Amino acid sequence: MGNGVAFYATTILVYAGVDALACLGLNYQFGVSGVTNFGFIIFQAAGAYTAAILSLPSASSNGGFQTYVGGLNLPFPLPWIGAAIAGGLVALPFTFLVGRRLRGDFAAIGLLVTAVMANLLATNYRPFLNGDAGLSLVPAPLQGQFNPQSLNYQWGYGAVAVIFALLVYCLLRRITESPYGRSLRAMRENDVVADSLGKNLLALRAGTLVLGGAIAGLSGAILVGFITLWAPSAWTYAETIVLFAAVIIGGAGNHKGAILGALLVPLTFEEITRFVPSFGPPELIPALQWVAIGILILVFVWFRPQGVLPERKRVIALPGGDPAAGGAQAPLAESVAAEDWIPPTPARDQRTPAIAGAPGEVVLSCTELTRSFDGVVAVDGVSLSARAGRLTGLIGPNGAGKSTMLAMLAGTLRPSSGQIHYDGQDITDQPAFRRARGGLVRTFQLASEFKRLTVLENLLSAVPEQPGDSFRGALRGRRYWRASEGAAVKRATEMLERFGLPAQANEYAGDLSGGQRRLVEIMRALMAQPKVLLLDEPMAGVHPRLARRIGYELLELCREGMTIVMVEHELSLMDEFCDPVVVMAEGRVLAEGSMAALRAQPEVVEAYLVG
Amino acid sequence: MSLLEASFGFGLVTAAVLSIAAVGFTMQFAVTDVLNLAYGAVMIVAAYAAYALNHAGVTIWVGVLAAALVGIVLSVALNRFIYTPFQRRATPIAVVIVALGMLLILEFGLQAIVGGTNVSYSLSEGSSLKLGGLQLTMQQIAIIGIAIATMVGVHVLLRYTRLGKAMRATAANGSLARNCGIRTGRVVTTTWVLTGALCGIAGAVFAMDSGSFGATSTDLFLVLILAAVFLGGPGQPYGAMIGALLIGLGTEVSAAYITPSYKDVVAFVLLLVMLALRPTGILGVRT
Repeated sequence: MGNGVAFYATTILVYAGVDALACLGLNYQFGVSGVTNFGFIIFQAAGAYTAAILSLPSASSNGGFQTYVGGLNLPFPLPWIGAAIAGGLVALPFTFLVGRRLRGDFAAIGLLVTAVMANLLATNYRPFLNGDAGLSLVPAPLQGQFNPQSLNYQWGYGAVAVIFALLVYCLLRRITESPYGRSLRAMRENDVVADSLGKNLLALRAGTLVLGGAIAGLSGAILVGFITLWAPSAWTYAETIVLFAAVIIGGAGNHKGAILGALLVPLTFEEITRFVPSFGPPELIPALQWVAIGILILVFVWFRPQGVLPERKRVIALPGGDPAAGGAQAPLAESVAAEDWIPPTPARDQRTPAIAGAPGEVVLSCTELTRSFDGVVAVDGVSLSARAGRLTGLIGPNGAGKSTMLAMLAGTLRPSSGQIHYDGQDITDQPAFRRARGGLVRTFQLASEFKRLTVLENLLSAVPEQPGDSFRGALRGRRYWRASEGAAVKRATEMLERFGLPAQANEYAGDLSGGQRRLVEIMRALMAQPKVLLLDEPMAGVHPRLARRIGYELLELCREGMTIVMVEHELSLMDEFCDPVVVMAEGRVLAEGSMAALRAQPEVVEAYLVG
Repeated sequence: MSLLEASFGFGLVTAAVLSIAAVGFTMQFAVTDVLNLAYGAVMIVAAYAAYALNHAGVTIWVGVLAAALVGIVLSVALNRFIYTPFQRRATPIAVVIVALGMLLILEFGLQAIVGGTNVSYSLSEGSSLKLGGLQLTMQQIAIIGIAIATMVGVHVLLRYTRLGKAMRATAANGSLARNCGIRTGRVVTTTWVLTGALCGIAGAVFAMDSGSFGATSTDLFLVLILAAVFLGGPGQPYGAMIGALLIGLGTEVSAAYITPSYKDVVAFVLLLVMLALRPTGILGVRT
């Protein structure tokens, strides 16, 4: 092998490592956690600049041809460590953009604009980082001990870059395969629902940004130590689009896909021009490269949005063998299972003594709760209370404010005025995830399963206080959380059997039928072990037989001490299961009582019960 | 002429260019829910179309019309052949990424054709007008005139015509509008025709105002457009007008007191503050 070829090979190796690192970091944010960070390149730049100014001698002692802050002349590996920290720290302020419930595309715009502006500032302001010209003569790591121009050094550098990429790959795998990683993916699928299940979106997104930023910062440090210069032209906003193209093409959500994308897109595109005979004016080939990146994005989003290596399905073995392998067992909850099923509490009067003897205390109550949207008052001074062990029904015509009520009780919506008390505390200002952690859990009217999580993962995602469901817990590895995960899987399996869906445990929730998805949502809410369960039309679109079965299950749960508030349209279900029933119309409570009593009230009949 | 008055004059011109662009952008978002990040790219392609004519000896005012035409064709094609099909098939965030892809394709496709050097229109050396302390060239006055005419036109369209009402209805609730018998497909296409014209005109007057321009000149201007749009509330044409005025004056007046290199930072900070505190903008509706 000629020396020229060898030097070329080492360069490729370094770039492969750097690009793989960057793509892994971006994939962690975008593919795993659903944070569309169009400003990703800022973090790489922050790392590169930090490594440069930490390893450079002070500006004045460096001939004075460039100006910069710092110049600490620190020995390796301090500049690289500093770069990773800088990448993470620079990411932190962006939490305020993505952490709130800002539309994902709006947050992405904010980040894109930030990238454009950061580059503009670095270009125009010379004293900080030498402006447009950028920093040059950045010392290579350990250049005192080794000769950076030697082939051995170059091979070593390439090897280090690749090893770092592999280490980060292992780290990210460890995180994403943990319960914490599952929470990240749940947030990606539907952040409002994740919030209502007790996930702290702000903390999850901050963690995502900081870790991804640190990885990007490290990649910048490795790059700048090798090419020994760094200027604004190296990190234009468009470079982020290249990384996005790489992650989308490789397979968003799949770490191996991210690495593959890094090899296919940034690396290949950089290198291929060396082998194409140059033609036209000097800007032509780079311009065509950009056009090709754009076309690649379009082609992949259209034809293969999951990428070359799609996200892997996390199949979890059920305790006691895989029921799907059993063949004839319960293929569809709606049909077969529902027919075979015998209600545990077949008659109404059997349950009555359980609560009638000792009417439960008030667990959840609200006073004068009001919410208006843009001048339209959806809920107008409603006071309600739900008693322990009761299944309280909430009915009313469309637009009566039932779902708005539920959303306010659960914390998804902020009330315009009024108070909510839960378990003796004023929770009016508590965010949804805190209420969920306190045992106040809701379901949603519209389908809200995490589509690209399996049924089992959907259920597991709601289990509270799992040791592996934190960044630290995830880092400590499988051994740390295996036992609790096993217990959770066991409980989830029992839940699936109770509701007749064990055969679907390892199917993507998004692939189920409408009725099955309703079941998944109810089961998931139950996995959170709520004290109070708020159900928004849990039986809508469900086969009547299955609906009754769900009703009996809910009654059983109430007998065990749970408090349930259920919005439902089907009066026969209300008749059979709910007591008391609250009637709402036009944002107010019209009446409250047993269905029999309500039927006797003419204004209730007029408002709702007609027909 | 004082510094403040001079910068106020520049600010008015920038606001004029910006208002034409921002109103187009925000109306596209209102009826189709697409943040068309390729908007700046369409602007600059249109500006080059005007340049081609101008270079051949045609007056720039004919060039502006040509730019409007190119803007219409490109925008309608973009919506019909890219955004609408992708919206049916991909997630909203994927559509934004597709828009970024289109930005690259249009902008660098243009650069591949016209090369990397900047060009400028040849404008007739017109007289300039003094209004108190303000001194504006005839071109600048014309740009302001076009902007005012456009804003009045948009106002009349939205308030007093059936089409304008249909556009507002479609923006407020597309499926409800369709159920009420509004042919939303046609309304959307018409919107892209009109906004495409605005986009093309904005491109030409932007190029006129900035003197010399290249294929990637609108990258930074897109930030100003976004700032104006988000300041006023995305999807709000009147908000975009107010946003454009504030951003235009804010950037130019601050340029007079800080250094001109950082004038766009004002727009950027305003945009981030709006996104963080009130993403629905000044005129936007809180949800």
